[in-house]
Amino acid sequence: MKNESPTTGKPTHQTPTHTIDEAIANRRILITCGTGGVGKTTLSAAIAIRAALLGKRTVVVTIDPAKRLANSLGLMTLSDQATDLTPLIRKAYQNYKPAPKTSQSFGEITSPPEMGGTLAAIVPDTRRTFENFVRELAPSSDTAERVMQNPIFQIFAKEFSGTNEYMALERLLALYKQEAYDCIILDTPPSRNTLAFLNAPRLLAQFFDEKIIRWLILPANKWVSAGVKKTLGLLESLTGAGFMSQLFDFAAALFDVQVNFSKNLKKITTLLESPEVGFLMVTTPTPETAPEVNHFIETLHQHRFHFDGIALNRTVSYLKSNGTPHPGYEEAFSIMHALQIREQSVIDNLMRNPLPLCAKLPELARDVHSVEDLFHVAMALNTDHPSF
Amino acid sequence: MNASQLIAPILNRNLIFVHGKGGVGKTVTSQAIALCLSAKNERTLWVTLEDPTLEIGKLKEVNPHLWHLNCDFTLAFEEYALMKIGVPRLTQLFLKNKLMRYLAKAAPGIHELVLLGKIWFERLHYSHVVVDMPSTGYGLALFQSAENFSKLFRTGPLHKDAESMIQSFKDPHVTGHVIVALPEETPLRESLELNDFLKKLFPENPAAFLANRLFPKVPQKESETESEAGNPALWSSPLALSMEDYVQKRYWLENHNMRLWRDADIHYGELTFIPPPVPSAITSHRNNPLNNIVSQLAEQLHAKAYL
Repeated sequence: MKNESPTTGKPTHQTPTHTIDEAIANRRILITCGTGGVGKTTLSAAIAIRAALLGKRTVVVTIDPAKRLANSLGLMTLSDQATDLTPLIRKAYQNYKPAPKTSQSFGEITSPPEMGGTLAAIVPDTRRTFENFVRELAPSSDTAERVMQNPIFQIFAKEFSGTNEYMALERLLALYKQEAYDCIILDTPPSRNTLAFLNAPRLLAQFFDEKIIRWLILPANKWVSAGVKKTLGLLESLTGAGFMSQLFDFAAALFDVQVNFSKNLKKITTLLESPEVGFLMVTTPTPETAPEVNHFIETLHQHRFHFDGIALNRTVSYLKSNGTPHPGYEEAFSIMHALQIREQSVIDNLMRNPLPLCAKLPELARDVHSVEDLFHVAMALNTDHPSF
Repeated sequence: MNASQLIAPILNRNLIFVHGKGGVGKTVTSQAIALCLSAKNERTLWVTLEDPTLEIGKLKEVNPHLWHLNCDFTLAFEEYALMKIGVPRLTQLFLKNKLMRYLAKAAPGIHELVLLGKIWFERLHYSHVVVDMPSTGYGLALFQSAENFSKLFRTGPLHKDAESMIQSFKDPHVTGHVIVALPEETPLRESLELNDFLKKLFPENPAAFLANRLFPKVPQKESETESEAGNPALWSSPLALSMEDYVQKRYWLENHNMRLWRDADIHYGELTFIPPPVPSAITSHRNNPLNNIVSQLAEQLHAKAYL
């Protein structure tokens, strides 16, 4: 069973990495995945800081509707254009003092590596990216305008689950081609499940299904069977007259864009499959962790993507109590002990299967609001942790 | 006005949507609300939307007054098409058609609209329907899609249904919206954004607020000054030094974070942290350990007169 996925029996990953630093060294692009609330954005920023410390020209790209990244950097805003954070990081680097010793080490390194690289952050405006994307794909500006004026398209641009994810990938491809950065960290958009991001290109490809679109724009009454006529009639009676003509219009416009879209999609898929791209999963120690991780690795494998490990965030096992709790602390301590027992069983489960745990991060006592705090997280990522 | 007087009427409505960011405990909270309502011998349905960890589509009896439905798009879509078309053979022809299959799969918002429609129809068969909403962004897309569709289809039966749905969700006699958050900064901030969005969609139907998993208060150490306790930014390190230090700081931090709701003048309900069952209890207990947390939470809702 060694090095095999417990659920599929297939090898879990081609090039195992055991630490974040190895992943940074081996890949040009790192993609962090995970459900909402696990600290994905903070961790992505911390990895980016680490990459900059290791001498990389780094950019962190976050699809961040809640402005979480700006908040944890202590900045007012970040934008679609790259913001240079190097001076901030350099200052934090100079001021950095290792955290006071806790009862367990978090791999805090006493002398941080040389600050050789740079760090920039981008928060893409997905709506604008999408419009630019259509303009680029369309054979003429007339077609582009026609697509964007269509009410179905306008809803699609806003609502289609997968648009944000796909636009993040478009931006990634553009940054990859630019060669201004040698390390790109992509913080995936928040979603209700970890896999939504991986499935986005396929979802969008379904939407651009060539055969259906071709069929939709066929001149009316040509080669249309009685069954199809009936279906269209029913659809029209349910949706009202306006919708059908908008739909045909939209399909005609899509048809012009479709060929270029398929080419782009192929490029993105090829990039994601290449050994230059590694995927990290960020999670917290709960009973759902092990099955979620297994499912994630299996899906990565199906896509032929490269898995670089699990970052277990918000762990509390480093907190030790000195004997019996003071009066008034009993209830809080019993909760903490229950959380620690649960955490240990999650880690035992992960270690039983050959699932690479590449980072274990402490639960912090306060929210991250400054580069200095983020620096603590970045330092804790260097792990020679006893549990590994 | 205290929190329970605001919350109880909202939790007693026909349709109850439980909103919040992922990981704040929506599933357990909505389940506890449903359990509490069913304990009053009122026909109650607890709805999850395509929860991949639960069995799909089937209606399950939990107790003589409580049912659970894990809504599935494909089944709900077929049901709706049959309802609208009427003739089963024609419905099948309609659903099997390639264009329809394409639209059902790819048309933006169709998925959301159908799930919401299913909930909306179910409300007629129960005293209470409690919905475990998907996490913030996707949950809002559900309502947005109903709004979009009523605009996109300017005439016809779909337009009429989408319009009536929105009217029901706006109506405080029919629908209650509950926002759940953890006493952490991001969920609280997002809950305020969520509230702004709901206010825009349903201006006459304000939401109820529940803060979940509040840590127990611990006695304050004498050496700590007021300002240190109140301002986490002054703490020397983001890490805690010991368990004692952590639980103390956690209480302060939660109290500091809850200012976000207090400053917005929100009267919120408080649910305390229920520790996870220890693994030995899970294996020795034949029941789902979650059920234990749900019933403890239901007891809290009842004891605090939120229900």
